[in-house]
Amino acid sequence: MSERTIKETAAERAKAAKNAAKAAASKLRHADYKKAAESVREKARTFDIKKAARDFWYGKPHEERRLGDLYIGNTGLYKHREWRGFKDTMYYFHMIWLYNYVHMVTDILSGDDPLSFFAGTMRYRWMGQTYLTVMHWFDRGLEGLRGPALAASAWHYRGMTNETIRQFMRMFAADKKLHGGKENKYWKNTIAHDETVSGNIFYPWRDVMDDVALQMIPYFVTCHVNNHTVLNYIDAMQSIGLPADPCPMCQAEAGIFVLDDYPDYSPVMVTSNEACDGSVATSVIQDWFLNRPLFAMPQPMRFDDPLVQKHCQEEIEECWKFVEEQTGHPFNWEEYKKHAESFNKLTDFEHEKWDVAANTPYYPINGVAQALYRIYYSQDGDRPIWHFVDAHVRKIMNKTVKNKIVTFPKTRHRAIAWSCAPLYYSNWCTWAYNCWGINTIINMDSLMFDQYLRTDTYEHALEDLATFNELAPMRSMAVGGHEHIFRLWEFMEKFNCDFVVMYDQLQCKGMQGIHGMFEDEFRKRNIHAVWVPHALPDKRTVSRKEIRKIISDYMYTVMHEEPLDPSLVDFDDSESW
Amino acid sequence: MRDLKHIIELEQLLLEANNDLVRQAKAEGKRALGYTCSFMPEVLLDLPGCFSVRLRAPRSGSPDIATYYMSNRTCMFGRCLLERALEGGFNFLDAEMATETCTVTCRFQEHLQMMDVIQNPDFFCEFTDVPFKKNQNSIDHYTTQLRAHVLTPLHERFGIDVSDDALRAAVAEHNEVCRLITEIGSYRKKDIPTITGFEFQLIQLSTLVCPKYLILPILRDIAEDLKTREPDARIPWRCKVVLAGSENDDPYFTQLIEECGALVVADRHCFGSLPGREEIELPEGKDVLTAIAEHYLLHEQCPRFMEQHTMRERKEYLANLAKEYKADGIIIEQMKFCEYWSYERTIDTIVIPRDYGIPVCSIEKEYVNTAIGQLRTRFQAFIESIEIKKIQKEREGAAI
Amino acid sequence: MLKVLFKIIKVLAVVWVVLFTVFFFDLDGKFLYYVWEPMMIKRFDNMKRPDLTGTPYERKEPV
Repeated sequence: MSERTIKETAAERAKAAKNAAKAAASKLRHADYKKAAESVREKARTFDIKKAARDFWYGKPHEERRLGDLYIGNTGLYKHREWRGFKDTMYYFHMIWLYNYVHMVTDILSGDDPLSFFAGTMRYRWMGQTYLTVMHWFDRGLEGLRGPALAASAWHYRGMTNETIRQFMRMFAADKKLHGGKENKYWKNTIAHDETVSGNIFYPWRDVMDDVALQMIPYFVTCHVNNHTVLNYIDAMQSIGLPADPCPMCQAEAGIFVLDDYPDYSPVMVTSNEACDGSVATSVIQDWFLNRPLFAMPQPMRFDDPLVQKHCQEEIEECWKFVEEQTGHPFNWEEYKKHAESFNKLTDFEHEKWDVAANTPYYPINGVAQALYRIYYSQDGDRPIWHFVDAHVRKIMNKTVKNKIVTFPKTRHRAIAWSCAPLYYSNWCTWAYNCWGINTIINMDSLMFDQYLRTDTYEHALEDLATFNELAPMRSMAVGGHEHIFRLWEFMEKFNCDFVVMYDQLQCKGMQGIHGMFEDEFRKRNIHAVWVPHALPDKRTVSRKEIRKIISDYMYTVMHEEPLDPSLVDFDDSESW
Repeated sequence: MRDLKHIIELEQLLLEANNDLVRQAKAEGKRALGYTCSFMPEVLLDLPGCFSVRLRAPRSGSPDIATYYMSNRTCMFGRCLLERALEGGFNFLDAEMATETCTVTCRFQEHLQMMDVIQNPDFFCEFTDVPFKKNQNSIDHYTTQLRAHVLTPLHERFGIDVSDDALRAAVAEHNEVCRLITEIGSYRKKDIPTITGFEFQLIQLSTLVCPKYLILPILRDIAEDLKTREPDARIPWRCKVVLAGSENDDPYFTQLIEECGALVVADRHCFGSLPGREEIELPEGKDVLTAIAEHYLLHEQCPRFMEQHTMRERKEYLANLAKEYKADGIIIEQMKFCEYWSYERTIDTIVIPRDYGIPVCSIEKEYVNTAIGQLRTRFQAFIESIEIKKIQKEREGAAI
Repeated sequence: MLKVLFKIIKVLAVVWVVLFTVFFFDLDGKFLYYVWEPMMIKRFDNMKRPDLTGTPYERKEPV
């Protein structure tokens, strides 16, 4: 999108709509009505009312759905949303579509400064262009789902949407740019931190301040909801001289500063070296453009070494000291305890979920919901919404386990997805299940942050917090020794997977640097693995269509399988969100 | 200028990792210890009984097997090292003292662990955790790491003496190298330098890849020779520049710049002497290893450091080098795919000319340099722009 | 009373039908894609932005 002028884009879309209308009119004018009437009569003769009633009530069987026929051109829009059977369509309409639209409004109204929503929407591209398209994000992730899988996955999306709104409402309420340069009480009482710094560091101040990750909403969430916006930021960073090869995630995060599209909502910034060299390197950009007190809280690289723990703990304490000095709010141990204990409950449930996912076919959460929700909540830390969502999902999961409901009945392969996912196509796993029966049971970044945080003593708390942060997403497996990334084999076995989807982030030096060893190991272990190249947020490098083609080619030529839904094998969604 | 003593010999030595001096030291029963990064204190690897070899892959071609293992989207330095290791070029190593300081060299060193590449039964690869800050916590941590992952394994596996006395002896030898390099490098500060950047890089590199005790006599000779070396009557260069940036162990790259007309007077890059060749002070009463760890952390200027003030001081350090060495501009090179330097180079290219008034030429290069024509054009254009600025300045001065 | 109730039910039924139509035919998506997003893109592309590369980068004391 960014490579073309917007006028062109808008005009193109208007032209496309006009052409479609013209084509329809022409079709009507030139239609062979006799032939059409004959066709209708033929259909009436062969019409199976029982089957139609069954399809209406239960939805079509998987193999007859032809979900690919629902798309309009390359837009990703639907001619009409899928009819999932009466019950599931009504559930989707009332409990997902309507419920979430209504709550998008109520969540905004319950924010710190509701009116700032409009100012923020008009001020920031990542907001104005992205936020309202959120229901399509649901649609893409939940395509084809039925029953408990639909409900449980949708609750995960609901949690993420609610927390996203809470965070941007806080940013807008505090934002100096939206308040004529004034430093209001929210600005003074909000900590900005890199999205890779875990929220649990700031638990001691959750009663008097808020902590909001700087790039989580402007960058990370937007890539999933509407991948058009992020391209502007990547291009902006390259426009000031950055080469194109560094990690595009870091590029995009830095590009937000270049375009002055970051909200100024905090007097300080806490950054870290999580997860890679790119993250370290972007600190210099953060420091330059934010130009305010910045604290770096690096984690040790060789985290298996018991000797690094003390150092890590001291860095966390230094960070706490920094927050105290900069904000004037003292460290509150009781507050830390409260949130750490509460977060442990989320961890408890995560372990329960893993148990069901690993050992039964009754796990009701699809690959994309699992991956996004897990990384979002564990990074964000303890918040009420996660408990609310987990309570709903627990009910659903208990039911599927108790009643032995096979939630993904067309599963041909239980897949594990390894390394980091394409953000613009995190819902590829929804497609892979619908098209090929590849059910993504778990992904790499879900398998971290599952350590319990002890709260019996300050020393134990600090020890656990240090380990927890050392084992953060991406770094937990990717750094600190090759043995971590090769834990794949252990998790494949644990989750009973027979298929590996290797995300091949083309600009991730750490993963590229071990590519050949994986190839060797796959051959040695006789494991089916398909490499999925991508460039995290940048769909221009490898498009979604190309990703699908790579998987489909593998399924045809290596696995010798036929698609469950042939309409999904080849379609164009190049201009979709 | 007349040829510097030993300079041809040094050039020959640099054509191979397992060079004559390395072979001589090995024949004398010393252990060869490889490393890739300036965060690994070479002085600890130069204890009596062993010697340090900073790994390079001179005369590399296309690293095909390494590209299978590490793909073609990683830093070529790391890949060429792996290729050389797979070819057997590093079989003389007894150990690799590794650091996880940048991703690709880390992965290279992990391949040494995983693939049993080095055909030496004694070989081991040990990683040290290197901090990202220069505070006291980091110094303590670094000291602990160096003791546990450098000194202890060297002592346990090879029986190397790691006592304070041995450390002091290694520091004394190291300091002599630093003193001589600093002395040799100081000729670059002259209005008309009597040593070229190419020559200096040959000397500096040889101190990194050869046993110190064997290279020291050569350094002494060169230092002596330079005392009487006179510049040519006709100045062969048009301007002076600082060469800054990421990994650069290629003296022919420096030669290319100088052939274009810019004399390289300061080397602030991964294999350079600024920083890197400052003498280590061992204050009375201070633990020797702590003093060494502190020295290395405090003197390093790697873009890996994340503290706010250190990130900002790096710019000042570079600008001060240009002033001290009377350079007209700075060439900032970045190895393609180096994440640290891609950001550092971007910000330097904007901030240094703006805040310090020093022109900057910003380029990206490969380990095996094939784009010589393009680079030559860039350097020539940069030199011309510096000359034009000089002429404009002179005219302005005359007008006043 | 019953009349009012029927009226409410009628209104609710109409609202439901309208909303369901919007939902089923993805009219919300079509509106956002063809109308809202091009409008926003135009707005943000034409927005004046300061050149932040002019931000000073001077020495700072350790924090």
